[in-house]
Amino acid sequence: MSEQEFLKVSNVCKGFGEGDSRQEVLRGMDFTVQKGEFCVLLGPSGSGKSTLLNIIGGIDSADDGYIAIAGDKLRDMDEKALTRYRRKHLGYVFQLYNLIPNLNVKENIEVGAYLSDKPLDIDDLLNTLGLWEHRYKLPNQLSGGQQQRTSIGRAIVKNPDILLCDEPTGALDYNTSKEILKLIEDVNQKYGNTVIMVTHNNAISDMADHTIKLRDGKVRKNIINENKISAVDLDW
Amino acid sequence: MAINSNNSAGKALAPAASSRKKVKNPMRKRLFRELKKDWKKYFVLFLLMVFMIGLASGIDVGNDSMMAAIDESYEKYTIENGHFELREKASPALLSMIENEDITVYEQFYKDLSESKTAPNEMKSTSDIDEATGAKPSERLESDEKEVTVRIFKIRNEVNRACVMKGEMPSNADEIAIDNNHAYVNKIKVGDTLYIGESAFTVSGLISSSDYTTLFKKNSDFMFNAVDFDIAVMTEEGWESLPSSVFYQYAFMYNEKPATTAEQKEKADALMEKLAVLSATGGFTDEKAAAEELAVKMQQQDPEVMQLLAEREGDINELKDFVPEYANQAIHFAPEDMGSDKAIMSVLVYIFIGVLAFIFAITTSNTITSESAVIGTLRATGYTRGEILRHYMLMPIIVTLLASAAGNILGYTIFKDAAVALYYNSYSLVTYETLWNMDAFLVTTILPLILMLLINFIVIYRKLRLSPLRFLRKDLRTSKRKKAMRLPSWSFLKRFRLRILFDNMGGYIVLFVGIAFVMLMLAFSIGLPETLDHYKANLDENLISNYQYILKGYKDEEGNVITTSEESAEKYSVASLETIDGAHKGEEISVYGYENESSYIKIDEALSANEIYISSPYSKKFRLSEGDTITLKEKYEDKSYDFVIKGIYDYDGALCVFLPQENFNKIFGLDADAFTGFLSQNAISDINYEDIYTVVTLEEVMSIATQLDHSMGGMMDMVSWVCLVMAVLMMYLLTKIIIEKNATSISMVKVLGYENKEINSLYILLTSLVVLFSAVATAALAILGLAGVFRLYMNSLNGWFDVYISPMGIAKMILILVVSYAIVAIFDTIRIKKIPLADALKNVE
Repeated sequence: MSEQEFLKVSNVCKGFGEGDSRQEVLRGMDFTVQKGEFCVLLGPSGSGKSTLLNIIGGIDSADDGYIAIAGDKLRDMDEKALTRYRRKHLGYVFQLYNLIPNLNVKENIEVGAYLSDKPLDIDDLLNTLGLWEHRYKLPNQLSGGQQQRTSIGRAIVKNPDILLCDEPTGALDYNTSKEILKLIEDVNQKYGNTVIMVTHNNAISDMADHTIKLRDGKVRKNIINENKISAVDLDW
Repeated sequence: MAINSNNSAGKALAPAASSRKKVKNPMRKRLFRELKKDWKKYFVLFLLMVFMIGLASGIDVGNDSMMAAIDESYEKYTIENGHFELREKASPALLSMIENEDITVYEQFYKDLSESKTAPNEMKSTSDIDEATGAKPSERLESDEKEVTVRIFKIRNEVNRACVMKGEMPSNADEIAIDNNHAYVNKIKVGDTLYIGESAFTVSGLISSSDYTTLFKKNSDFMFNAVDFDIAVMTEEGWESLPSSVFYQYAFMYNEKPATTAEQKEKADALMEKLAVLSATGGFTDEKAAAEELAVKMQQQDPEVMQLLAEREGDINELKDFVPEYANQAIHFAPEDMGSDKAIMSVLVYIFIGVLAFIFAITTSNTITSESAVIGTLRATGYTRGEILRHYMLMPIIVTLLASAAGNILGYTIFKDAAVALYYNSYSLVTYETLWNMDAFLVTTILPLILMLLINFIVIYRKLRLSPLRFLRKDLRTSKRKKAMRLPSWSFLKRFRLRILFDNMGGYIVLFVGIAFVMLMLAFSIGLPETLDHYKANLDENLISNYQYILKGYKDEEGNVITTSEESAEKYSVASLETIDGAHKGEEISVYGYENESSYIKIDEALSANEIYISSPYSKKFRLSEGDTITLKEKYEDKSYDFVIKGIYDYDGALCVFLPQENFNKIFGLDADAFTGFLSQNAISDINYEDIYTVVTLEEVMSIATQLDHSMGGMMDMVSWVCLVMAVLMMYLLTKIIIEKNATSISMVKVLGYENKEINSLYILLTSLVVLFSAVATAALAILGLAGVFRLYMNSLNGWFDVYISPMGIAKMILILVVSYAIVAIFDTIRIKKIPLADALKNVE
């Protein structure tokens, strides 16, 4: 493993169902991601990108092949070790935010901070996320963009090695989507986390260091983006 | 893990973060908000738990404090180690021989008289009523004043001293101190005038005597009776003036008290045998073998023995009764009954807390379902299953702890007072002090808490076993069924209802169990009074006779056979034997000998030597039928008798055996013309009261029903109301949970254009059908349960009666439940109406 080869996906296969109804979702995926890279997994619906993200996140397992983070193979970890791995090294951002409805913005971020021995300063983070004024609001008093910012805050407050984002802008309008993407870009640059983002939006690949195009459960293109642009310049 | 060391971002931030404290789990902040948001649900759960824990704790604390006072009273008031009764007053020589048996004997002679609050000349005479109404004596007693027997002792200063509860001990011949419980039941106060026999006495005080905590007239009685039986003390002068025959009872204390019950029994058995021999031989010997030898020589008219007997004629006596302290129901019934109250209450608490725990678990389970995406996110972020489990367990723990605290406070105050009042209502108990009780705390608080935690833990743990991905996908079904169950081609609405039923099966099962619990309590509250009424009515109809006169002997002092001119009187014999096995070992069985063509015991079949009929309750309790052989033994001797059952006689009054008079005398080795007394429809007035040992009236046979009616009658109405409130609260909770779980679906069908009426027909109608089905199904189960509990209870007592609930009673049970649900259904309808249409849209991804 080279010094910079942080995430290795090797011949990962995954299928669902049995017999005639079995469907192979991942058919031998291979790629690597460098440390601190902003990597986009791009593909249409059914291409296997969310399944792959879940396997990387340790909440699903591969039928064959393996995923290694900094040389440690997830398949060798038992459930407890996987939980520890997620607790210490992963941050998750979902399309539908999944905030706790009866905790306010600050408390929802504390939910992530609680898992870390050395969390980021929550007040700083609230300012960075543009949520300082909304910190005592409950999720149902926030816009979709503010909710997603909170969810990103919850994911990054524990300063994870890897930030996994599953269609984080899927439920947002154009402008809000760009704001969120800018925020993730800033986080990546400020804290140096490796970001792996699943999306079906081609335009987002322009802001990534690394784009992996998927179709029918296979890697169709593996592109290192030498001329990436800022999220604010994206257009779709 | 290797990646730790490679965390450049972590390193970069380390200086800034290192000084920060660990963040406390913010999830805890949800609890108060959750409580506030759903306060109605948690308040109802809290209330139900407070009520159950408070009630159990009150009964336990009251019970144990009272038990401690009773235990202490044995020493404080020098309660006897036992007593015995002789036919005549023991001669000094006999007494001295008796005291050689390692006991000290104390006279406690008594007289049984009638007691009344009304002067005798104010009462109508028996014959007047007979002519006027033709009513039976029992009916006269019901409609006028109850016949009360008072057992009067001289003030007892050495043993069985009384605790004065109110007023003072009598100091004049015209004063009397009566039993506190009897006074309470019959509303007699200090200063009242009571008519004992023909004379008036002033009640100087109310007493509790620990040898009569429970007012049993005879130790073998089916049930105590504080309504119609009283004990009292008078000055010696007053007592002597009473015109009644004396019962020569002696209390005894062991000079060296045996330590264990086994030793007590062994010693008492030996003592009883020696007393019987000593009294029969006038103190000549206490050895059974020697007495038998003496009897043989007496039959042979041995001159030496005849001389001896002549010398000891004044000492010869007969042991009529022997009751060691450990076997004395009047002493031990109350504490034992109070113990069983505790046990029953504990079982009820556990069942009810179990039901509540399941309601709680279902609530939490539904919350988990609605928060599944959040849980999935938390698990994906690294929260452990244990952390999530602990979070969801906190609410039941907090509510149960708060309820336990409040329940215990109420238990030590209001409920304890209520429990103690109930005991004072039934028993004659000494004063007590409230004691802190670790056992009560364990049984009423710690164990229910553990039960609540355990059930919640199992349900929540099972729910949280699923993978984070399943939570994220909101796929929480544990069933492996991939396709929906196929339903018959019924109408769409019917199929829809069935789907709702299957979807909420857990909730409906708990609803069923909860309803079963309420129905069991309703079966008690409605069934018990009905059972007692039925028993009384039945007994009134088929009583052997209105009066059973038992004579001291069938010949008077001059050796003439006692006769009566009362036309309805008929000779009969009765003896007491006891069972040696079966449902209740040592149960007293009355053996009746009847005359040929008896007009009271109508058995036409000719019975040979050991052939008998048994009464129906005997057959039911001991599960005996025609052709079975039974063995009964003499109570105070080893002698036993085998009988063959030829038939069941329809008489509910007692557990009895019937056989012809002739066979009776042969079996018990009596003279051919011997008999015990008279059965009679009317009171017999021409027999000298000194020749009468006792008279058994309908009231006495019915004493169990009277006493149970008094002890539980008032409480049963209260239990019915409690059931109604509990049923409303429980169904409110469960249907609330079911509707909340289906809020999105309800909102969705509203969006689709369904009207509230149609939605009600889906959800309310379904729940109504489930409630109705549960009510009918559990009514049957509850009655079976009641019969089972009753059989167990009856097996611990002397006697038997059947559980009876009329069709109206069953209808009432179901009606109470249906009315409870009707109240809940109003809340449910409002709740469904309030579900906003937007819910469906918000929750759909």
